[in-house]
Amino acid sequence: MTSVPLVSVFSADDSTKVTAKHIPLPAVFQTPIRPDIVSFVHTNIAKNRRQAHAVNPQAGMQHSAESWGTGRAVARIPRVSGSGTHRSGQAAFGNQCRKGRMSLPIKVWRRWHRRVNIKQKRHAAATAVAATGIVPLVLARGHRISQVPQIPLVVEDKIESYEKTTDALNFLKRFGAFEDVQKVVSTKVVRAGISKQRGKKYRVRKGPLVVYFNENAKLLKAFRNVPGVEVVNVTRLNLLQLAPGGQLGRFVIWTQSAFAHLDKLFGTYRYASVLKDGYQLLRPLLTNPDLARIINSNQVQEKVQPAKTTKVLHEVQKKNPLKNTKAMDRLNPYAKKQRAAATAAIKANTKGTKKIKKNKALKKASRAAFNKVSAALNDATKAAVQEEQDIKVKYFSVQKGAAQAE
Amino acid sequence: MQIDEVVWQVINRGHCSFKIKTISQNFCRNEYNVTGLCSKQSCPLANSQYATIKEEKGLCYLYVKTAERAQKPKELWEKILLSKNYEQALAQIDEQLKYWSNFMIHKNKQRLTKLRQMLIRIRKMRLKGFKELIPIKKKAERRDKIREQKALVAANLENAIEQELIDRLKNGVYNEIMNYNTKAFEKVVGQNQVEDEEEREQQEQEEEEEDYSDEELIFDPNDLEEDDEEDQEEDDDEDDKRLFKKQTFNQLRRDDDELKDVKKKKPRVKLQYEEEEEVEDRKKQQIAF
Repeated sequence: MTSVPLVSVFSADDSTKVTAKHIPLPAVFQTPIRPDIVSFVHTNIAKNRRQAHAVNPQAGMQHSAESWGTGRAVARIPRVSGSGTHRSGQAAFGNQCRKGRMSLPIKVWRRWHRRVNIKQKRHAAATAVAATGIVPLVLARGHRISQVPQIPLVVEDKIESYEKTTDALNFLKRFGAFEDVQKVVSTKVVRAGISKQRGKKYRVRKGPLVVYFNENAKLLKAFRNVPGVEVVNVTRLNLLQLAPGGQLGRFVIWTQSAFAHLDKLFGTYRYASVLKDGYQLLRPLLTNPDLARIINSNQVQEKVQPAKTTKVLHEVQKKNPLKNTKAMDRLNPYAKKQRAAATAAIKANTKGTKKIKKNKALKKASRAAFNKVSAALNDATKAAVQEEQDIKVKYFSVQKGAAQAE
Repeated sequence: MQIDEVVWQVINRGHCSFKIKTISQNFCRNEYNVTGLCSKQSCPLANSQYATIKEEKGLCYLYVKTAERAQKPKELWEKILLSKNYEQALAQIDEQLKYWSNFMIHKNKQRLTKLRQMLIRIRKMRLKGFKELIPIKKKAERRDKIREQKALVAANLENAIEQELIDRLKNGVYNEIMNYNTKAFEKVVGQNQVEDEEEREQQEQEEEEEDYSDEELIFDPNDLEEDDEEDQEEDDDEDDKRLFKKQTFNQLRRDDDELKDVKKKKPRVKLQYEEEEEVEDRKKQQIAF
């Protein structure tokens, strides 16, 4: 970006009033967006809060079990020694056994924490901050910011002296941030799984993050009880809060002094950071990431060679020329004319022959003749049928007579 | 423009809260999406220059978003009311989105058409009325049906009707000649025989009815008045009437034995009482010893 975008600072009491106009955006907000760095750093940093736990080292092993060896028609797994109980002779020790110890039991000396290079951590934090200034990313993360007057939202330092939660709530309502809080409230769910018995009963969404600067600020207590809202000092910006779940674009509310402090924290592209010793903001690979625009720009198009047309060696699918006229025409251009000539010839040959007109008289005569013939046929068939019946009757009567006689 | 590419990469590859993935297609839940599908061209987040049509209370509005207002979510969408005339609305879209990409213009026009069709259908349905489908709630239906049956049984309709008719009969509603069921008639009579002395009048009224034979059972309200004088009649009269009843309604009446027993029972009780007293006295005498 050539021109530095400007930001307005809003009055805490009135969201329409602007106390300071056109403050330049700190350079952090122009850091290239690197979701890969953020993702990597987040997954590792998230492990640092873990507490060591382990399985009882003796679990499943408190037997003097020994394998019976071969020749006893049982599997070779160690079996519980002794007698007089169900348990004796049962399999033990193996991870596959009932009441056996787990495979690779968890040890306390598991490597719980991960160290990440400081530079990476700083780059991740810078990117996360930059992402908080991009509206689509904040929206995509799921925050309800459609009524917020400006992103990044910078408010005068007055809010740092808020003591009452009502003040905090009213402030959020004024700046359209309350919708996000409402989302948090309405989507509070009882957690699935055992953790609810371990102190994590509810799954609560993340709402706005309020960033302040002065250490004496009382707003921590004011915002503490508002669901979803987190409060943090600029000097202690946490990636786990800026990009919860490794997802860029938390909705952040900055106080004026906190906002101003960002330049000192992260430095600019001109000057290295003051507070992060020797840290220089990440430089982008492409100053203009809009590839499509670059490619279609005049400067590039001028130099570009004309597109090569691919030479078609053969059809994708072979068409039979004997059946497919177009394929035939491609091979033999004269085929078209030949066909035309053939059809013309056929037509010429058939020119002399008259079309048989339907002669009504002829029709009548023919019909009469037909009727005559069919009548004769009918009579004949009738006669035949009758004859057959007579024979049948005679036959059966003869039979009857014969039967009667008998 | 600059950020769009980056945003699309992040959203598409990463997570977008508006994206809905199905087996065949990806959809976009964002309310400003023109097509409803998830693609780079139609993503309202990944395009700083975007336009949609939205419908509000039967009117279509063109919502336009430009890069200039990208940092101000509240003022992001410019709302332009489109003409109610379809062709004029299309012309408006052309005018507002002049020099925009063909895709955007085309999709907006398509969306406008679709919304207008929907509105037409809504209006038609409102005028013509439509069949509202109400689901049948099996459980509720089953429950109500059974309760209806129970209520029917509990209501004792027949009894209620019977009582009503009897009351009417008593009140003299049916002054004309009526042919009625002898069994029912007897029931009415039977009821009255068990009643208290207080309602003797009614009793005797019905007793009057007894006197009539099977064939001609005529109820004459005038006859009722005659019996008022006979208030203090004793059991004797009742006995006579019972006998009479026996003779006339032989087939239908209860067992003769029952009535005989009823007669006998009364004196028996007295005797027993006396016996008990005697016994007690004897006992007392014994104790004295």
